[in-house]
Amino acid sequence: MIDVVFLLLVFFMLAARFTLDGAISVSGPSGQLEAYAGPPRLIDISPDDTRLNGRMVENLAVELNALTESSDDTILLRPVDGAPLQRLVDVMELLESAGFTGLVLVE
Amino acid sequence: MMDFGAHITTRRGSRDGNIVPMINVVFLLLVFFLMTAQITPPEPIDVRPPSSLADPSETLPEGVLFIAADGSLAFETTRGEAVFSHLPTDAPLAIRADREVDAQALAALLPRLAALGVSDVTLLTEAP
Repeated sequence: MIDVVFLLLVFFMLAARFTLDGAISVSGPSGQLEAYAGPPRLIDISPDDTRLNGRMVENLAVELNALTESSDDTILLRPVDGAPLQRLVDVMELLESAGFTGLVLVE
Repeated sequence: MMDFGAHITTRRGSRDGNIVPMINVVFLLLVFFLMTAQITPPEPIDVRPPSSLADPSETLPEGVLFIAADGSLAFETTRGEAVFSHLPTDAPLAIRADREVDAQALAALLPRLAALGVSDVTLLTEAP
């Protein structure tokens, strides 16, 4: 019986999922673009590089600070050339850690 | 002459006495894992979510839309285009997409979901 109990114990230890998934909120262009104000802030995400308004930038967060008035200004993210989702998540994470909250995913 | 027999029996006796608290602890652990284990239904398609340091959200939506690396969709028992007619409208939706999936396809999916009334979309990631 103890063997069985041990077996059950090991089973539940292995089957239990302790790691909770992280969650990133994504929003599409609906309703957000009417409120767009200020200079263009379009980030093209290709598999190899990230471009702000079509040109390569050294430090994305610093350049965006010059283009935004507040941290919740809308910033458009456009994946191009078949960029994988991991690239998009990396860029979103970078921008969110820099404090930008108005990220909008566009096609 | 030494009396080995008596020695052995006392040792065995003490070992039997020690095993009872151990079983108690094991039962306690078993009950703990039984209670805490959340029975998650098996994933409909194989997905490796993107890795990020994002914090886990407190309240996860009930519905999870799966997107495989080749872009195929799965929601509960439905597959492919049929998922759009089965998605819960006006409710938050979680998307568990493969890290290799084309981000452009996801960008195209959002307006389509918004048209169905699904505007609160969360992307699930896993810790690196």
